[in-house]
Amino acid sequence: MKLTPEQLNTWLGLESRAQLAQALGASRAEITLPQARRLTGRLEELEGAGHPLRLAIVHSYTSDLLDPWLGLEAAIQGLGLDTYHAPYGFVRQEAEPGSGLDRHTPDLTLLLLQREDLHPDLAAPLAVRDADERAALQQAAAEGLLGTVGRFRALVPGQVLVTLLPALHGPGLGLFDAHSDRSELAWWAGLKQALTAGLRERFHGTLFLDLDAALCDIGRPDYFDPRLWYSARFPFTPAAARDLARRVIAIGAALKYPKAKVIALDADNTLWGGIIGEDGLNGIALGPDYPGNCYAAFQRRLLDYQSRGLILALCSKNNPADLDQVLAEHPHQLLRDGHFAARRVNWEPKPANLAALAEELSLGLDSFVFVDDSDHECAAVRHALPQVTVVQVPKNPLEVPGCLDRLARLEVLSLTSEDLAKTRLYAEERRRRDRARQMDAGGGGLDEYLHSLGMRMRIVINDASHLARLAQLTNKTNQFNLTTRRYDEQRMQAFLDADDHWVAHFSLADVFGDSGVVGLAIARRLDGELAELDTLLMSCRVIGRRAESAFLESLLRLLAEAGITQVVADYLPTAKNGLAEGFLPKHGFIATADGRFLRDLAQAPPRPAADFPIAVELAR
Amino acid sequence: MSTFEQLRTVIAETLNVPGDSIGETTTAEELTAWDSLGHVNLMIALEQTFDIQLDVEVFPTLNSVPAILDQLRAQGVE
Repeated sequence: MKLTPEQLNTWLGLESRAQLAQALGASRAEITLPQARRLTGRLEELEGAGHPLRLAIVHSYTSDLLDPWLGLEAAIQGLGLDTYHAPYGFVRQEAEPGSGLDRHTPDLTLLLLQREDLHPDLAAPLAVRDADERAALQQAAAEGLLGTVGRFRALVPGQVLVTLLPALHGPGLGLFDAHSDRSELAWWAGLKQALTAGLRERFHGTLFLDLDAALCDIGRPDYFDPRLWYSARFPFTPAAARDLARRVIAIGAALKYPKAKVIALDADNTLWGGIIGEDGLNGIALGPDYPGNCYAAFQRRLLDYQSRGLILALCSKNNPADLDQVLAEHPHQLLRDGHFAARRVNWEPKPANLAALAEELSLGLDSFVFVDDSDHECAAVRHALPQVTVVQVPKNPLEVPGCLDRLARLEVLSLTSEDLAKTRLYAEERRRRDRARQMDAGGGGLDEYLHSLGMRMRIVINDASHLARLAQLTNKTNQFNLTTRRYDEQRMQAFLDADDHWVAHFSLADVFGDSGVVGLAIARRLDGELAELDTLLMSCRVIGRRAESAFLESLLRLLAEAGITQVVADYLPTAKNGLAEGFLPKHGFIATADGRFLRDLAQAPPRPAADFPIAVELAR
Repeated sequence: MSTFEQLRTVIAETLNVPGDSIGETTTAEELTAWDSLGHVNLMIALEQTFDIQLDVEVFPTLNSVPAILDQLRAQGVE
């Protein structure tokens, strides 16, 4: 479907890069090269030179014909692109210090390789080789590629993107390939798995970009242009070239922009068809029939984004009771109350609600993606909060399920188990806040609330099994941190191994859930009965529950048992740790002449655990 | 808009040159931007804009405005 001149002119008349970018992203129309040039020009006109992105392309097939599309996609993302193309066919040479690639100092190095490059034996059919030969070849090919990637990884800063050109033809065995134990497709799938496992294990900042996924989206006949391939060694149709550019630039955008963390969703005509306040529970479109099944599919897709580590928030103009009825009672509502980390359901302006959500979640608005069907709401948020990415849900229900699929901001470059737990942790925290508010409204005090949480603290001493998390805590905790000393895993291990050091960490659980390992202390015996507290820190996740006090007193009890009678500590102020300023004086540490703090355990003995609304278990 | 005027716009936008540098007799040698890379981009742009198919053997012959206009006429473009 071609882009009509009328549509092009409408787009060229849009007033902001964000709007034009969204229109371009949502459209499936085929854009010609001259149209791409005009749109690129207009985007650059609307918002000058964006964040610079230095791209380097090392290739075993022609790459410079990608430039018009890279230019368009970069302009859509607000990135100022500076591309270096290595000399044609120079792959190994470019991995040498002093090469053009080296001198370009790229943010992103794209390796455009062909399958045949991986091993000379791939010039012949795979199916005729026996199983052992095929397995050995797969391993040799994967190792060879990992070796090549390693040379680039050692040379360049930034990210390295590895690609393999998809097969120009279907498998040698034809339709039978999928069923055969000599399947070529299975062999390549196995090679990709070996490759990505190797990349994950050995290198940081490398990503495999699977062009076979692009082939799925576009279809082989529409992906390859044989004329350009056989005459100029450039494989792609304009559609395929633009698709490759989009994927590469999406990774550039993920590198350059603050990571998206929140999808803030409207409800009416976003999560379901219709308006709950007017149509009622049985009148909204949500279920197995059209158009309700489109919205059900969108809700299902949102769970996928959640699995990327994004949290969902609700931002809807509705009576809370009406909306809650859907979340609680509608049989086809997939996203229930517990799926949302935070919510603002009221009649206030949405920009204010989004700001309130950001504050509640302690996240910047520049990590928000706002999704709403209304022209007015989208315009209001774009105007008031330019740092929020705004996506307007299409009017056509058929276009709703995939409306976020091409949003570069939602791509992730990594995924940890902590990311996956995020929504659960936020939802648990929301329930704690709700309870605190309820008890507050009922006249109960903080103590009553804390006791009602049924908190259990588990303190573990000198245990290396959480080594990575402990080192991470010293590097990421800025607010409740007395001395802000940063330790890598090696140094942390040294503390754990040393006889004269105590490394204590704690996790905190309550009726709502388990916060994981959230606090750390490092102490050392200076001589005889004197110990020094080198580090005491705690994640903001558990602030306000007196966990830091229970932890400290338990630690001091432990030191006293080991014969320590005096503990010296420091508060080293930084721009971010004002929260910890009064901690030592509040816990019986007296300021000394040399600017340090001293607690005498004979005069101020460690307080028993019963003093705190937390059950403490000390595991030695 | 005549075919020539449409063609002039396509060449100007694809090669990023001013429209008035392109005349009815312009050849590839006369425009620095009309190099081998520019030429391939131009072939793609012509196919997309005029909805035609060009054989790979024909590519190298379309190295001037008159040659392209002939090809467009032969393919039924008004």
